[in-house]
Amino acid sequence: MRHVVFALFIALTGWWVTNPYYVQLLTFIGIYTILALGLNMLMGYAGQISLGHAAFYGLGAYISAITTVHWNWSPWVALPLALLITALIAFLIAVPMLKLTGYYLGMGTLGFGMILYVLFREWSSLTGGASGLVGIPALTLGSISLDSGNGYFYLVWGVVFVCFIICERIVNSRVGRALRAIHDSERAAGAMGVNTSRLKVWVFVLSAVFASLAGFLYAHLVSFISPTSFDFIVSIRIVTMVVIGGMASIWGSLLGASLLTLLPEWLHVFADYEMMVYGLVLMAVMIFLPQGLTRGILDSYERSKSKYSRASIAAQD
Amino acid sequence: MNDQKASTAGPQSLLKIEALYKSFGGIQALSDVSFEVLPGTIYAVIGPNGAGKTTLFNIITGIYPAEAGAIFYAEREIRSKKVHELVNRGIARTFQNVELFESMTVLENVLVGRHVRTRCGFWGAICHFPWVRNEEQEAHQKAMELLSFVGLENVAQSRSADLPFGWQRFLEIARALATDPRLLLLDEPASGLNAVETEQLGILLQQIRDRGVTLLLVEHDMSLTMGISDRILVLNQGRKLAEGAPREIQADEAVINAYLGRE
Repeated sequence: MRHVVFALFIALTGWWVTNPYYVQLLTFIGIYTILALGLNMLMGYAGQISLGHAAFYGLGAYISAITTVHWNWSPWVALPLALLITALIAFLIAVPMLKLTGYYLGMGTLGFGMILYVLFREWSSLTGGASGLVGIPALTLGSISLDSGNGYFYLVWGVVFVCFIICERIVNSRVGRALRAIHDSERAAGAMGVNTSRLKVWVFVLSAVFASLAGFLYAHLVSFISPTSFDFIVSIRIVTMVVIGGMASIWGSLLGASLLTLLPEWLHVFADYEMMVYGLVLMAVMIFLPQGLTRGILDSYERSKSKYSRASIAAQD
Repeated sequence: MNDQKASTAGPQSLLKIEALYKSFGGIQALSDVSFEVLPGTIYAVIGPNGAGKTTLFNIITGIYPAEAGAIFYAEREIRSKKVHELVNRGIARTFQNVELFESMTVLENVLVGRHVRTRCGFWGAICHFPWVRNEEQEAHQKAMELLSFVGLENVAQSRSADLPFGWQRFLEIARALATDPRLLLLDEPASGLNAVETEQLGILLQQIRDRGVTLLLVEHDMSLTMGISDRILVLNQGRKLAEGAPREIQADEAVINAYLGRE
């Protein structure tokens, strides 16, 4: 039922919004939602931080860009390759890295993000160096070009929809429970027979593949990529989306991605003070809704509901 | 591959510890500790603080390795096996300070206990195969059955952190039982419980034994251990001081001197 409403909402939005600027903004929200969903599986559910997720986002974008621009591959062949290589790299990184916990894991993933950023910038023969890669082809489905109208919007949000279902099913399964168990107490999860190190590696790979998919969609949307789109600040922004939206909440990823994309647009009216207000809003959310937007809103809803029902019981007496 | 057959025959013991040694820095936490636990019994390990009880417990459950000695479970050597492998073979445990999954509901906690007896992975979850649904349903049934066994079926949907401490301990036992253990290790199950709860715990542990689960408990509370245990091992400063039925322990000179105190 919720899925039908969500799909309908996507379809109606795509039909209703025609202003190209807003369509593009909404498409970006979709791409960020995929990133946030993936990181939320790792951070919100399994409790493992990654401060280098932009690296996987960049891998998806660069692998697809390099194969399509330099080697004239079809994007639809580039996509599985990009996802596969990202998964492989994520796996190789995760095996030693996820032995670390807490701040140390944060540092480790941060370092990995830095290394890939330098690689994107310095491997000029492939990546075009600091000036980036131009002329990434637009996506086509058969004879339909997704470049025009709202085609790309529907593609991205279609992918978001599928990612939603994937995440929801994992969360509500044996695997999802084991992930949350690791978050709450890794020792107890182990004592229940959960192979904690293996599961952490797999959820890291899953989350990297999501980021890679988002990178692919990003590259073919903007047709030009440069290393600054995948630097440290981007990693931090994805983490912020997850935290602001609500850890361990699938809808929170959507909310966080929307807020962090729309907020800078709304704040243009503050001109020079834009970033200050932006920071203040984030601080306010964390101070008043420390569990993130979704949990905070749900909690206040439940509180007002119980207050209302108590008031109505009192009125009956 | 590493499984060797136990060298000595005799009555089929479920757990057999042979000459275990462990030291931390200069402190000898365990030296030459040996004992056998027969299936279908309650075996208690007691001793004053620092006697090596918890060390022994952690070695059996695979948290850290022993320096020397052997541990046989169901006739197979289990030293150096990983924790989740031990659970798979039927060794479950509870923690001294109760380690629940606090953000999860009571029911979900027990469902995590079913982890080793179910097999749905990432693909199974994503594709939502019919067998996954059946497996979930069976796990739910089993979990609810265990919750009513420990008397928590009415709070199945509450957050586990919101339960009173005594109930949390019972929930932890239900969660451990969900792994279908043959051997259940309990680390000071009565600590933090009041007299009534301790009595309920004693009854529950005997019921668990009657279900065919062998229990090994490390305990401080003398009334509990003396009342329900079939055999007791007394440790003192990492060494075996005495072993026997509760009556023999209560009468043992060395134990009275070291632990129970002279009247």
